[in-house]
Amino acid sequence: MDILIKLQKIDRRVIYALVIVVLMVPLLLQPKGHPKLVTPEVHHAFDVIDSVPKDKMVILSSFWGPSTESENGPQTAALMRHMLMKGIRFGIVSWDQAGSQITYNIGKSLEQELHRRYGVRYGVDWVHFGYKLQNEAALRGIGTDLPTTMEREKEGKLVSTLPVMRGIKDFHNIGAVVEITASGTLEGTMTYTTQPNGLKLLYCPTAVMSVEAYRYLDSGQVKGMLNSAVGAAQYETLIGMSNVTTQASVTTWTLSTAHIFIIVLILLGNLGYFASKKAARRQGGEASND
Amino acid sequence: MTILTHNQWSAISTRFYKLWVVTIADRHGWQLAVFITGALLVGALAMWMLMSVPTRFRKPIVMAVTFLGGLILALEFLISTDTWHPLTDFLPAYGNVQMVIGSFALLLGLVNLFMIHAEAVNKRTRGWINSFAFFVAFFAIMIAGFVKDYAAAKAVSGSADSIYTVFFEGFLMPLSSTMFSMIAFYIASAAYRAFRIRSTESALMMITASIIMLGLVPAGQYLTSGLPGWLYWLRLENVSYWLLTSPNMAVQRAMAFGIAVGALATGLRIWLSLERGSFFDRQL
Repeated sequence: MDILIKLQKIDRRVIYALVIVVLMVPLLLQPKGHPKLVTPEVHHAFDVIDSVPKDKMVILSSFWGPSTESENGPQTAALMRHMLMKGIRFGIVSWDQAGSQITYNIGKSLEQELHRRYGVRYGVDWVHFGYKLQNEAALRGIGTDLPTTMEREKEGKLVSTLPVMRGIKDFHNIGAVVEITASGTLEGTMTYTTQPNGLKLLYCPTAVMSVEAYRYLDSGQVKGMLNSAVGAAQYETLIGMSNVTTQASVTTWTLSTAHIFIIVLILLGNLGYFASKKAARRQGGEASND
Repeated sequence: MTILTHNQWSAISTRFYKLWVVTIADRHGWQLAVFITGALLVGALAMWMLMSVPTRFRKPIVMAVTFLGGLILALEFLISTDTWHPLTDFLPAYGNVQMVIGSFALLLGLVNLFMIHAEAVNKRTRGWINSFAFFVAFFAIMIAGFVKDYAAAKAVSGSADSIYTVFFEGFLMPLSSTMFSMIAFYIASAAYRAFRIRSTESALMMITASIIMLGLVPAGQYLTSGLPGWLYWLRLENVSYWLLTSPNMAVQRAMAFGIAVGALATGLRIWLSLERGSFFDRQL
């Protein structure tokens, strides 16, 4: 009991040091284990992407930056990998400046990795539309006239001249829209892009935002969801990467240790709190007896 | 009843759209310089005319422009997509105008930053060295970015790309990640020191949060993987999933209805310039 009371006065730097140790262990070990259990929303997301016809394009709407790269990065990579392996054309537009470069780097590294086996090429299988200013008209323009709205891709070429955009004009040629975000942009995308045009929408949020998405999953407005890095790891299980070390698998195990650590801290803190309350009551009783 | 036929609307909107396309067509060299100069002069003239408007007319002008700006999008959205209407053709142009206006906001923020930090450096206030570092970082990455784009346009290979990459991927991205990562330490410290179960509600919240946190990750799934088949519903991942898809979803939906009704009312008030503070609480 005394030890619990003494732990209440522990220096916060000790807690910070423990956080570093707990988070560093999986990052150093680089575990490759992926979750065997795949949630229904991830299954549905996989089915939506898998069923996109070859004459249509998937739009990845990316609204995240370096601060949430550990969650949104694996989601982007898993989806891109699936589409590149399956030969599904996709275009990615970023509404964040730094995120634009990060998503471009992810695409380029996957292209390098998959080029030999699948013949993946930029401008033919995928395109990055670059950084655009977020506004409702641009979102709506994606559904009404995609080449004119996007105009130029990240490397400066006119989008309409690229082979990947052959036959892509408006929402009739878009198979699905994926919203990968760390902000509350789902409603905007849903209102101006997918709902009016009947497009299928997938949602890839950070973990704290995912709880708000279940109402849209239930109503069918969102067809599938990848819940932070865990959802990305589950998605990688579905595309046959369950035994490969990826950022998603490492992040998932880091999350595991972090969550358990936080729960242990809360329990210890509350046990110490109750112990100190009991001790205070006992001391108060002894003093009144005196 | 329609005022004009479909073909007449189409002809009018096509004519306006072609005019817009000519306006924003690609230009190079002296044509680009003339176009930019002309655009600046037109903008300055428009600004001067607005500033010259008598005070009592400024508020109605702002209200009219606000109303028309919202009306275009509202009409285009509310009119059924089964019926053709001319506003759809203007949306790409409208989007470009919005992006330009958004750029003004960027510039405004930049000017504000410059004024604040310049004053700090000038007066040598406490922490002025950080303000000086702002200017160094700003101009360093700006110049690196311009040099990189210039080198790319001229197809010149060299160190320009590497310098930009060092600044962007070596400094900016790790620093952004670091700022966000510091939250982890504060959360751990708060979880240990501040989260106290003082009531039934907080106990319920803590138990629910623990179940959902553990149900989300593989370690939590392993904890209850040994439960027999007939107790599968007690496994952490299943309890967590039920909590998210049943009570949580119902509460989120109820909150969303309330927020949406409030947002609709507020949006309508802003669109009609009825909101207090639309004109900074003083006559423009």
